[in-house]
Amino acid sequence: MSLRIGVFICNCGTNIGGTVNVPEVVEYAATLPNVVHTEGNLYTCSEDGLSSIRNQIDERDLNRVVVASCTPRTHEPLFKKNCELAGLNKYLFEFVNIREHCSWVHMTQQDDATDKAKDLVRMGVAKVSLLTPEEDLSTDVLPSSLIIGGGISGLSAALTLATQGYQVELLEKTDRLGGLLKNVNMVFPSNAPTAELLDPLVDSVIKHDNIRVHFEVKLVEVKGFIGNFTAVIKENGGTGELKIGTIIVAIGANELKPKGMFGYDLFDNVMTQLEFEQRYRRGFNGLKKVVMINCVGARTDEMPYCGRFCCITAMKNATLLKEAIPEAEVTILQRDIMAFGKVFEEYYQKAMQVGVRFVRYNVDRPPEIKGAGDAANKVKVYHELMGRDLELDADAVILTTPLVPAEDNQALSKMMKIPIGNEGFFMEAHQKLRPVEFPADGIFIAGCARYPTEIVECISQGYAAAAKAAAPMAQGRVVTEAFISKVNPLSCSSCGRCIEICPFGAVDWVEFRFSPEITREIATVNPTECKGCGLCVASCLSNAIYLKGFTDEEILAMVGTTIAGHEFTL
Amino acid sequence: MSQKAALVIGGGIAGMQASIDLANMGIKVYLMEKKPSIGGRMAQLDKTFPTNDCSMCILAPKMIECANHENVDLLTYSELSELTGSSGDFKAKIIRKARFIDEDKCVGCGECIEGCPITVTDEFNAGLGNRKAIYKYFPQAVPSTFAIDRRGTAPCKTACPAHISVQGYVALIAQGRFQEALKLIKEENPLPAICGRVCHHPCESACTRSQVDEPVAIDFIKRFVADLDLKSETRYLPQIKKKRAHKVAIIGAGPAGLSCAYYLAKEGYQVTIYEKLPVTGGMLSVGIPEYRLPRDIINAEVQVIRDMGVKIKTGVDIGKDITIEQLREEGYNAIFLGIGAHKCTSLNIEGENLEGVYPGVDFLREVNLGKQVSLGDRIAVVGGGNVAMDTVRTALRLGAKEPFIIYRRSLEEMPANEEEVEECEEEGIPIYPLTNPKRIIGENGRVKAIECLKMKLGEPDESGRRRPIPIEGSEFIIEVDGVVPAIGQESDWSCLGPESACTLSNWGTMNVDPITLQTDDSDIFAGGDAVTGPKTVIEAIEAGKQAAISIDRFIRGVNLREGREREWEPVEDVPTEGYDHIPRTRMPRLEPGDRANNFQEVQLGFSEEQAVTEAKRCISCGICSECYTCAEVCKAEAVDFAQRDREVTVNVGAIVLATGFDLYDVSPLMEYGWGRIENVITAMQFERMICASGPTTGHLKRPSDGKEPKRLGFIQCVGSRDVRHMRYCSAVCCMHATKEAILAHEHYPELTSTIFYMDMRAVGKGFQEYVRRAKTEYEVEYIRTRPGRVTLNEENQNPVIHYEDTINREFRAREFDMVILSQALIPTESNISIAKRLGVELDEFGFIATPEGLSNPFGTTKEGVFGCGFCQSPMDVPDSVVRASGAASKVAEVLAQHS
Repeated sequence: MSLRIGVFICNCGTNIGGTVNVPEVVEYAATLPNVVHTEGNLYTCSEDGLSSIRNQIDERDLNRVVVASCTPRTHEPLFKKNCELAGLNKYLFEFVNIREHCSWVHMTQQDDATDKAKDLVRMGVAKVSLLTPEEDLSTDVLPSSLIIGGGISGLSAALTLATQGYQVELLEKTDRLGGLLKNVNMVFPSNAPTAELLDPLVDSVIKHDNIRVHFEVKLVEVKGFIGNFTAVIKENGGTGELKIGTIIVAIGANELKPKGMFGYDLFDNVMTQLEFEQRYRRGFNGLKKVVMINCVGARTDEMPYCGRFCCITAMKNATLLKEAIPEAEVTILQRDIMAFGKVFEEYYQKAMQVGVRFVRYNVDRPPEIKGAGDAANKVKVYHELMGRDLELDADAVILTTPLVPAEDNQALSKMMKIPIGNEGFFMEAHQKLRPVEFPADGIFIAGCARYPTEIVECISQGYAAAAKAAAPMAQGRVVTEAFISKVNPLSCSSCGRCIEICPFGAVDWVEFRFSPEITREIATVNPTECKGCGLCVASCLSNAIYLKGFTDEEILAMVGTTIAGHEFTL
Repeated sequence: MSQKAALVIGGGIAGMQASIDLANMGIKVYLMEKKPSIGGRMAQLDKTFPTNDCSMCILAPKMIECANHENVDLLTYSELSELTGSSGDFKAKIIRKARFIDEDKCVGCGECIEGCPITVTDEFNAGLGNRKAIYKYFPQAVPSTFAIDRRGTAPCKTACPAHISVQGYVALIAQGRFQEALKLIKEENPLPAICGRVCHHPCESACTRSQVDEPVAIDFIKRFVADLDLKSETRYLPQIKKKRAHKVAIIGAGPAGLSCAYYLAKEGYQVTIYEKLPVTGGMLSVGIPEYRLPRDIINAEVQVIRDMGVKIKTGVDIGKDITIEQLREEGYNAIFLGIGAHKCTSLNIEGENLEGVYPGVDFLREVNLGKQVSLGDRIAVVGGGNVAMDTVRTALRLGAKEPFIIYRRSLEEMPANEEEVEECEEEGIPIYPLTNPKRIIGENGRVKAIECLKMKLGEPDESGRRRPIPIEGSEFIIEVDGVVPAIGQESDWSCLGPESACTLSNWGTMNVDPITLQTDDSDIFAGGDAVTGPKTVIEAIEAGKQAAISIDRFIRGVNLREGREREWEPVEDVPTEGYDHIPRTRMPRLEPGDRANNFQEVQLGFSEEQAVTEAKRCISCGICSECYTCAEVCKAEAVDFAQRDREVTVNVGAIVLATGFDLYDVSPLMEYGWGRIENVITAMQFERMICASGPTTGHLKRPSDGKEPKRLGFIQCVGSRDVRHMRYCSAVCCMHATKEAILAHEHYPELTSTIFYMDMRAVGKGFQEYVRRAKTEYEVEYIRTRPGRVTLNEENQNPVIHYEDTINREFRAREFDMVILSQALIPTESNISIAKRLGVELDEFGFIATPEGLSNPFGTTKEGVFGCGFCQSPMDVPDSVVRASGAASKVAEVLAQHS
């Protein structure tokens, strides 16, 4: 069938028409090869403009459409859908931006802007001529989710997904649910026993029909992609496979053991906050003088990040001790009190009210622990505000340390192709707006595996990750645009650069049979995972990968037509 | 039954995220936002910490996703009015505020902006810059639709009997757009030069500016543009619509008749005016003296009407020369009676028939028609209206030595224009208030004296004025040569023959339908003094215009009444604070000595400068001035002033609250000088300033002199962590200030910043690294202290921060080019009304309360209603989007449980 191209040029009121001579461009477009219809519109995006496109597709039998107007960012979906409405495959549409790229940037050069608009339209026509009809791709999504980690984040995610009606496979490597939190006596800011929060949650999870909890389990391998993952696990001495549609990583983190710091290895009565909670689980045993040192192993050159809620933990333990033994002297040595927000600032005020003393120290003049035998008994600190040293008696010295990444992070990262950041925590897809997602589709992150996170945030992230996982499961399938990469097997040299460079883990090895005798592993692009970014195309040394909708032929046709008399071919 | 739909309240990042997540789960979402665009606070930010991503670049795709998602219905510019039902099945009533722009038609091109004469402070730019009354909330707004900021119709327009867009033409004149102003006036009033001289201007009585100082001199401003047009080479002629063959006869060439003719001619009708007098203008010509309304002005405005094709036949006495029946036979499809009220009401006292008693209107008519009338030297004019004033002043000009006024009420009750009373006094004419004639004493059949009674004021009568009561025994006699009664007029209906079915009221006025002005005879319409009794010019003009509308409909055979019963409600709650007192511009007048013996115009008119200056005093009560310039330029025909707020009801299973935050007003923190020291600004103002799409296109400029600052001082916790203001920590300011300091240095490598803080709460992922880089790479200095105050160095307008150096324990003062206050962020005020309507509780600060604490961070006090983001507690963007997605899960639970 011969090409029949329609070109629609928008005035955008005076946004384009005020600078670009649109009638001239319309007239010019009519002279381009295979263009059978051209028109200018006051607003091509208005119902008038859209219906005109539909009518022309129908009446003039157009099989390609070019719209020259504003930005594809806001308007391409509209025009593509419009083509579809008129029965034209939406991939036979090309968008030319003569507003941002032309009238707006050349507002004072009307003639040049008009010439450039002609160039851009000519390029658009050159490209649209080479486009072929494509279909969107879709895959089914299993309505079940794998949740790795049975801490507060994983439990929250599991429970909400199950309540929403999805199947959940919950993996816990120990024999108990509750994660790090089960070692904590009381939770801030309510100072209520942890069990009050945790027990009902664990109970609901265990009893829920839609949740299967795997205790003492090891995740060995994850295969597949969104909608159809397979998790290989080892449990009860055997190996099993779980088929799931989505995955939530919630493996938590560990408390830093401050080896070599502040006499932690030297004195029995120097301990971390978590150790303090465990040691004095049943009572404070007459502690009279306690010094807590904050930012141990945090906010230093070696360990640069802030533990986010360590200050609050210290305040909690200090407050509980003061409330239990009002005459006790409890001093928190701190660098900044990270009582951010509404609740924690109030918690901080309350700690001061019960008589917890806060002394600010400088990281350059850190406190010194003095002791005799296996017990520390004094902490010397330079009081920054008073400008002199203080010597505080201490029955116990509590070191407030941050959470550090779990040791499983590295293995999991490799297994699932999910990235890890500088600090060793998992790295989310976007720090600001995609905090519980990974770049790869169908895999999500919640809780301290991402970054130290306090309880309410862990719960929130559990719920958030569940919402993300629920979306494709609710739809039952995922649809991807047709403009994705493809590998030409015969050209692939099996160098693996594309596999390394793909940010979405969409390129992988596959066994390819070239002849009955010859097979070789070559790269292949999983259409469901590919986002069409083109990195693999650019990285390929053998010219074996191409991106639909942006093939070399198409791009070179556009380039070629900008230089009169030149035609680029491969 | 459960509704598989959810309502999200608040279109900031949290609300958008919750909506997208829900929509992706296949749940129908109604995303309601009170502003004209979604985007929320994040849209105001330049960059985001700690990655320095362009805020809009990461936000816009989310906004577009919301707009394009098939499961999301955007309800922008909307507010919740009522919620009924319970979890799983709520009914929410939502008011969709009128944008006055058709969202489906508006393509967001922005051509409307330029013509809009109204400029208001741009809240999106945190008050640093202005926008127009017609505006897009910000360039990337979604929906990409404009809105008109209309508080309501200004009181001047509602008070004007003709409902001229007064604020509109005043605004246009303030911009020097005189011709557009005149065109706008003529939409409602074809005789502005006349009205600009003699109108009783109820617009000015209603003017809100009088609450500040004095009303705007609206009438004089109008006169200026009208005169300008009459003096110009080509006068403004309205576009005449398609010519029609239908004929209309108008009886009377007074203001009512002329107005009726103008608007009918504009519609294309063939109009003929029949006038009994030899001149046009009716009472304008024969009732109002020339020194108030020069004849060439009347003639000029009448000429415009003639130029539109209207035929005027003077000296034709209907009923005598030609009858109504004959007019009908000549093919007139409709007739308008605007005959006015030219017959003087008698005093009904003894001696009224004596020689030397001359009714006021007759006197004025004779004089105005050029006849010589002499009444002698001492002339008593009885009455307090404009006719009385005109009569007495005319008498003076004709040589009477001692003309004076007798009026039965007090000066305050006088119905005459204030200026006329004033001018009368200037001319030395005595006014005797609280005096009523009892009888006229004659000698030889001629007036000799007038006996009067002293009056006092009693209770108000139905006119609202205090009723005059005679004081018994207070009679006294004044010797006079003439008496002129000027206490009222009535109509002369000799024009009506038996062929018309019209009826008259007991007062001798024509009975008409009050809205259509149709008489009991269907093809006859009437208006002006003939219907109302003696009233004002502008009321007659309005009647003529309304009759024209009726006649057009009558001829076209459509319903006369439909859509015309409109109540004009003036806008209320117009803020009048913060305006400097500017005196009303005085009308220049001819000196009393130069005018008492002639008929030259007394009021000389405003100069262009005076008109513009005076117009600028308008405080834009309605915000939008209703000048309709936007409607005229909009090629997409999207402007729709008839739009009204409308209510929609949505059925949803659950609700997510994401109302975000407001900025704390830092002006009560006097010690930091915001509002007093120009170069002290808020963090949001700084953000808009450094943003490329902001009012300074990304250039840092000191408000005092526009100079580029070299040293910035940031004060943290302004209103936060402060028992006098907000006790809590606002959670984002430490990083926000750090970001701003980094950006400033990126823009200007010479620039250094100092951040005065209490605790550097850099607790999020990558935040510590961000602060470290600020110190090492961007020359940001951090000083731990809470500054005591900010003073001003008068010489260079630099703010000086006074603080205690807590390391060296010394008091210090540091001078900066600009100081930025990290203001507290507070729950939105709208939480209060939303909480009330939803039945959820707020905490002591106004945040949405979360009663279940840790076990349900999204829960509110109402089942099925969830909170997320800053409206629950201060938090940054990632935390907000986490909460938003989490709340989406909660909604999904509710919908799953109820299905």
